[in-house]
Amino acid sequence: MQSDTVDTSCHAAIAEAVRTEARRILSDGTVTAVIGYAASRRKGSTQPIVITSVDDADKLIFSAACVNNLAVYLTKAKKDVPRSGRIGVVVKSCDLKALVGLMGEAQLKREDLYLIGIPCTGVLGSVLQPAALLTTASIASKCCECTDRLPPGCDFVPSVQLPQQPRLEQRYTDEIARLEAMSPAERWEYWKEQFSKCIKCYACRQVCPFCFCEQCLCDRNRPQMVEQTPRPAGNTAWHLVRAMHLAGRCAGCAECERVCPMDIPLNLLNRKMARELKELFNSEAGFEVRDKGPLNSYQDDDDQSFIR
Amino acid sequence: MQKQITEANFRLLLDSLLFKGQRVVGPRRSGGTVLYEPLASASDLVTDELPRRSVKEAFFPVCEDLLEYRKEGQQVALSDVTAERFPETVLIGVRPCDAAAVPVLDAVFSWDYKDQFFLERRARTTIIGLACTSSDDACFCSAVGLSPADPKGADLMLTPLVGGGFLVESQSEKGEAFLETWRDRFAEPDGTQTQALATPATQPFDLKRIKAWLDDHFEDAAWDSIATRCVGCGACAFVCPACHCFDIVDEGSEKGGKRRKFWDACGFWKFTHHASGHNPRDLQPKRYRNRIMHKFKYYDDKFGQTLCTGCGRCIRVCPVGIDIAGVLEEIQEKG
Repeated sequence: MQSDTVDTSCHAAIAEAVRTEARRILSDGTVTAVIGYAASRRKGSTQPIVITSVDDADKLIFSAACVNNLAVYLTKAKKDVPRSGRIGVVVKSCDLKALVGLMGEAQLKREDLYLIGIPCTGVLGSVLQPAALLTTASIASKCCECTDRLPPGCDFVPSVQLPQQPRLEQRYTDEIARLEAMSPAERWEYWKEQFSKCIKCYACRQVCPFCFCEQCLCDRNRPQMVEQTPRPAGNTAWHLVRAMHLAGRCAGCAECERVCPMDIPLNLLNRKMARELKELFNSEAGFEVRDKGPLNSYQDDDDQSFIR
Repeated sequence: MQKQITEANFRLLLDSLLFKGQRVVGPRRSGGTVLYEPLASASDLVTDELPRRSVKEAFFPVCEDLLEYRKEGQQVALSDVTAERFPETVLIGVRPCDAAAVPVLDAVFSWDYKDQFFLERRARTTIIGLACTSSDDACFCSAVGLSPADPKGADLMLTPLVGGGFLVESQSEKGEAFLETWRDRFAEPDGTQTQALATPATQPFDLKRIKAWLDDHFEDAAWDSIATRCVGCGACAFVCPACHCFDIVDEGSEKGGKRRKFWDACGFWKFTHHASGHNPRDLQPKRYRNRIMHKFKYYDDKFGQTLCTGCGRCIRVCPVGIDIAGVLEEIQEKG
């Protein structure tokens, strides 16, 4: 497929609006800190930043390289991020779904947050080359199937005209269809090969907003629950445990997949599980806070066909 | 000794090595990424891409068995892995930032304890380096005292020639022996120019000044501003050619299993978690501080060199964009 450029001309106006709003909410005491994106040393690169003073608001930026889901800094796994008072956080729609999920799981309160929503034209799938142009080829797979370019329910969203998006391939849908067409043995071979690449760096776990357990099952050694070494048995156990833990919770930010240094298509597993949950329980991650997820509640009409 | 080899002879030499049953490891495409792996033919060798993981795994694998145990009745039988069984290996296409890390690791693995697993592999390996003709803005070898053609750690150094082929320079007895064994493949240098080398854009760091600041600033507010964003994964350490921390676990059942050594990382919360429950590096900035201190102070204090070769891999893979070259610039300005 020919690669087309994605129009990102609205980014400058978005960045300016985010800076102005951050200045306002920090100076009038609405928030004690703002978590956003700042430029980094390499051309085009960005990094998360926590600012607490009005003077630092100028550091905030927005571009197609602002890939991080900043919700991770509001989880208890990131205890060291200053969290007193109300916190401003810059969110794209996919990131917002994660925050909504965390609210449902009693990890956060809406009133403790000030949500700065980003009208989103999509972000880069990889920042190995952070200055790369955003095109229909370099855009993140999650953005290809996103239907929520404007995050709802935020306290502030820059008002910009979102450009028409070029036609994008539905990569997850296509890949899930390809895998579903395989025999179980072929599918198992595919995942075995993918998991064999894992080096257990746990970047997938550390960037995931839903991996907030104070002690991960995989770190337990008294008794050891999962083989810790990066070998096929432990790798497979780890990724299956993770897929099951995230079923019905994963918001689809795809951070796990983006940060994997070994390029394991982790969000493909998450998308497949999300689809199962939609079919079985008519449940999917969205923008409404739910205090019960499909796998921790019971209804009489739940599918029970798996019990034989 | 200095020689020259044509592109065709270079490929033929590789195939001859493989035909003889020699194990040859070099950058090759493996799935979507390039890794240092055993080559099956000369055409497997990738010369224009830095492998995603470093060459350290040729000596210090991601995971290896140290011993095997079996329990029968009241008897426990242990069997050791014999390090002598490690195969003779030619490592080829090793980037200067990777090759330079090998002597850095030598010092650690032969200091208070001689790690036979590392040292036996090391003794059986000949390293053929390859000078870089391209770089990106994550590369900073020239900022930590190396260069895109630095022969440190290599037994033989290849530098691409204009029009194809390589200038070959031996750097050690192993390199001389290799040139002697395969002398028919090499020619005397005919004065052909070498290709223009890569030019990493980063200015040289004043590593002494950086170390001086680190000596005096174990406690400093800067650690919070630098590292609060760190999410505590091990990606940076795992792709680093010089990071060498490992853990050892027994895996298996009561009846039998294996003792294994595998990569660990100072970014992990668990890394310094004591059995008492106390964790001296309880917050992420303290863990990141250790990473910088180890590379630019502790290792220098102990072994007189820097534990970083500027390959830039940690910069490329950091989930949250932490850029070690940017961090060093910041520290240098303070010093």
